[in-house]
Amino acid sequence: MASVRAVLEFLADSTLKTGLPVPVPMEEVYSWAIPLGLPRSGRVHLYTGALYQLMPYIERLGRYLESLEGSRSAAAILRLARALIAAPRFTRTLLSPEPQALERPRAILSRIARFLGAAGYYVAYPYEGDLYSGVLLYDMGLDDAFAEVASRVYRVLKEAGAEEIVTVDPHTTHVMRSVYPKYVDGYDLEVRNYLEVLAEAVDSGRVRLRPRVREVVIHDPCFYARYEGIIEEPRRILRAAGVEVREPRRSGRMTYCCGGPVESISPRLASKIAETRLSELREESKTVVVMCPICYANLSRANRLGLRIIDIAEAFDVEV
Amino acid sequence: MDPLERALRDIERALGDEAFQEGVKRAARHAEERVPHILEEHPYLRELAREVRRVKEEVLSNLDHYIEEAMESLGRMGARAYLAGDASEAREIVAGIVGTGKTVVLSKSMTAEELGLREYLESLGNEVWETDLGQLLIQLEGGKPMHSVAPAVHLTRERVAALLREKLGLRVPPGTSPEEMVRLVRGFLREKFTSADVGISGANAIAAETGSIVLVENEGNIRLVTGLPPVHIAVAGVEKIVPTLLDALKVAIVQAAYDGLYPPNYINVISGPSATADIEHKRVRGAHGPLEVHVVLVDNGRRAALRDPLLSEQLRCIRCGRCQWECPVWQHTANLWGGPSYGGPMGVVWTAITRGVEEASGLALLCLGCARCDYVCPVEIPISRILRSLKARYSKRITRGV
Ligand code: SF4
Repeated sequence: MASVRAVLEFLADSTLKTGLPVPVPMEEVYSWAIPLGLPRSGRVHLYTGALYQLMPYIERLGRYLESLEGSRSAAAILRLARALIAAPRFTRTLLSPEPQALERPRAILSRIARFLGAAGYYVAYPYEGDLYSGVLLYDMGLDDAFAEVASRVYRVLKEAGAEEIVTVDPHTTHVMRSVYPKYVDGYDLEVRNYLEVLAEAVDSGRVRLRPRVREVVIHDPCFYARYEGIIEEPRRILRAAGVEVREPRRSGRMTYCCGGPVESISPRLASKIAETRLSELREESKTVVVMCPICYANLSRANRLGLRIIDIAEAFDVEV
Repeated sequence: MDPLERALRDIERALGDEAFQEGVKRAARHAEERVPHILEEHPYLRELAREVRRVKEEVLSNLDHYIEEAMESLGRMGARAYLAGDASEAREIVAGIVGTGKTVVLSKSMTAEELGLREYLESLGNEVWETDLGQLLIQLEGGKPMHSVAPAVHLTRERVAALLREKLGLRVPPGTSPEEMVRLVRGFLREKFTSADVGISGANAIAAETGSIVLVENEGNIRLVTGLPPVHIAVAGVEKIVPTLLDALKVAIVQAAYDGLYPPNYINVISGPSATADIEHKRVRGAHGPLEVHVVLVDNGRRAALRDPLLSEQLRCIRCGRCQWECPVWQHTANLWGGPSYGGPMGVVWTAITRGVEEASGLALLCLGCARCDYVCPVEIPISRILRSLKARYSKRITRGV
């Protein structure tokens, strides 16, 4: 375990100074949107909070800190943080995430933007303003840093004209909808999750979907299922697309965690929890559908059972 | 050693221990499936749980008053009541009653565990025996209970056989059935029960109005611990006090159901020393049961926790252990995560209450924040929210508030 203190300070420092928990150039976050030509201003913004895009980096950083000789030395980690904050381009060279690992989230996000368009939900995108929500800082209890990050994110979104945001992952959804109001004075953004938007469009017949896989077992993320009550929406979408949905022993409101949140404290425990989960998912199907980049990362890392793990946005297409 | 580092070291070892993993996972799965089934079959249980929550809130909003009332009632019933400010005071009170050179039988009590009572009484030259089978195995193993209600979940039958053989000298050849092992232990303990000078129990609830102690169990050892020796001492956290005997019975029922053992085999009600009125219908103290009953109410951080808006919510806890059964971390670590006596999600918070936030807050970092515990707690304690606040206090301390 790398020094907890150093890791926390790394996260907080980087987020406060660069807007991202791992210092990388902002293009890494928004480049996916350029080919789509999403407008910069509008009433409804797609706000990703950068979690999908940064997961490959966050994962690599964890590994890197663990491998550092003397990683318990907080000073060494903090020196590293400072160097990377000063030269974010160097982060990619240092951590060298796999090109496919960086490509995949971009593809997922552009699929999501297209789904929204098909649903008649035309969104703007804040590009450089698609800052990290600070959710990890909140989870780790770094409340002061989190409060600062939250008010900046809010200001940036408001300046771009956002009145409503559409979020794409469970952690960002929860933090924007249920936590920001407690930390940001006068917070008035309406927060919808893209699965809610899409489920509604599917129900009303505005969008037609077709399957890309025949059958899946569904892994509900804790934050959708227990914090935000998003349980039926993904099922309605998948069924409407003609995907057969299987339920694991622990699903819906009592879904089982992927183990991801303790990865930075105990990688071994995180992977054991993931293995437990994978083995019960396997009882239902060889294809697992996830809805969260943290679940994807943690389950994939522990996947020695040869399961196919896909994001829900990869499980169907819109009919044009 | 830093509590988090120690927990991580123990957990690392347990993760590689196949038998441990299998034992804990199997027991948790049974509980995960059994409790919803019990709740469905007996629909009144959910309503009772809601009532218990309300009752607990009422007591906690006026705890000093209820402590006073309970002590008065206990006295009226002929029991002696004590209020111990902290663990060492509680140990001294019990030691004062027990003395030295005695044989003491204990029934499983997390409060006794919190106080380190067994070790302390042993250090004073007493022979002390746990009588709950699981807890006896923990005593023989020299470890800590791995679940609030099922302390030996991590031990396979082979390991149990080895402990009984090596530590008690019982004849347990390989392949001995669990039934046979239970019979052997019963024989061994029976003799301790009859020769014991003192029996020590915990309490699931104490009725302020009548001074009654309520204890729920399945093995039947509690009836013997509290019934056979001439002296009975009950140790209980002050949060165990409820207004009436009916409330106390509700706590016992809800505790049993949410642990997954319903109906419980036995519910014991103890109102003072045994008595008879068979001669001229006049109450005479001391019949077949104990002649003396002592009740040690333990504060040990509880009343201070009442002033903390989040920690205070944990004081409603009835120690059913369901949050442990359902926790993904607990299912892989058992009580190795949580602190020296308590474990699992509720355990971290109880460690904070009884040993200080400083010791517990680092342990909270192992919480996933997945909130399964919050959803299953019968008295709706926002456990994961309390753990997040402990994380915040830890982060603040180590980073000096970045
Ligand atoms: S916190 Fe709730 S679920 Fe856990 S032991 Fe206490 S009462 Fe039971």
